[in-house]
Amino acid sequence: MLILTIFLTSCSGVKQLSIFKEEVPRAKLNLEKPTPLELENLRWIIITSANAEEVFKKLEEQGIDPVLWGLTDKDFELLAKNFARIRNQLKITNDLLDKYKEYYEVEEE
Amino acid sequence: MRIYIIGFIILALLGSVGYVLKLQRDNTILKENAVKLESAISEQKTLIENQKKDFEEILDANKKMNELVSVLKKDLEDLDKRFNKKNRDVGKLAIQKTESIERITNGASALATRCIEIASGSPLTEAEKNATKKSEINSECSSIANPNYIPY
Repeated sequence: MLILTIFLTSCSGVKQLSIFKEEVPRAKLNLEKPTPLELENLRWIIITSANAEEVFKKLEEQGIDPVLWGLTDKDFELLAKNFARIRNQLKITNDLLDKYKEYYEVEEE
Repeated sequence: MRIYIIGFIILALLGSVGYVLKLQRDNTILKENAVKLESAISEQKTLIENQKKDFEEILDANKKMNELVSVLKKDLEDLDKRFNKKNRDVGKLAIQKTESIERITNGASALATRCIEIASGSPLTEAEKNATKKSEINSECSSIANPNYIPY
């Protein structure tokens, strides 16, 4: 009876707990940020009916072709606003990129 | 009969020793399990703390991006005001004061060009960083060009 009891208790022994862990860190993308822009300054010339002849004369004197691409005052305003919108979008995209890099590519301590 | 009794006693003793040994082995395993569980709990706590930290970072990043969007929106509104403040007609002004408006336009154009460079990631110069007066700032985009300027 005793032997039988011993055999039976041996069948239901305590099992060793195993915790499996497999942590493989993803390879870092590490793309370089685009080089900041270096832009050339434009020269705006305001031409009115009163100064048109003088403006073209000056251009010729400076050896510049006497031809101008024109914008009305309203179109100039729209151009300025369009550039401001592009600038804002560029800033937001650039800052977003910085935030993602800060969050995902932080150096391991 | 005596042989049976002695045999039974020996078997009982052997069984008892085996049982005690088994209990000792079980005890060792249980101790190991307890250590593993404690370690797992500690790792879970670290994980939860890290998740909390990540969540705070996400909230902070969102807040900063929303602030930036608001500031840039205001810059755009300011630009609109510059063209149309008090029914200002830039076209008429340019006819009346051609040279003066041409000079202002070229100055503003150069500043706006610099704004695009900054927006694309160009680092701020010392002068831009230290600007605190209206005469020192980039009036086209002071919010991104002059971090120390407080509008007054």
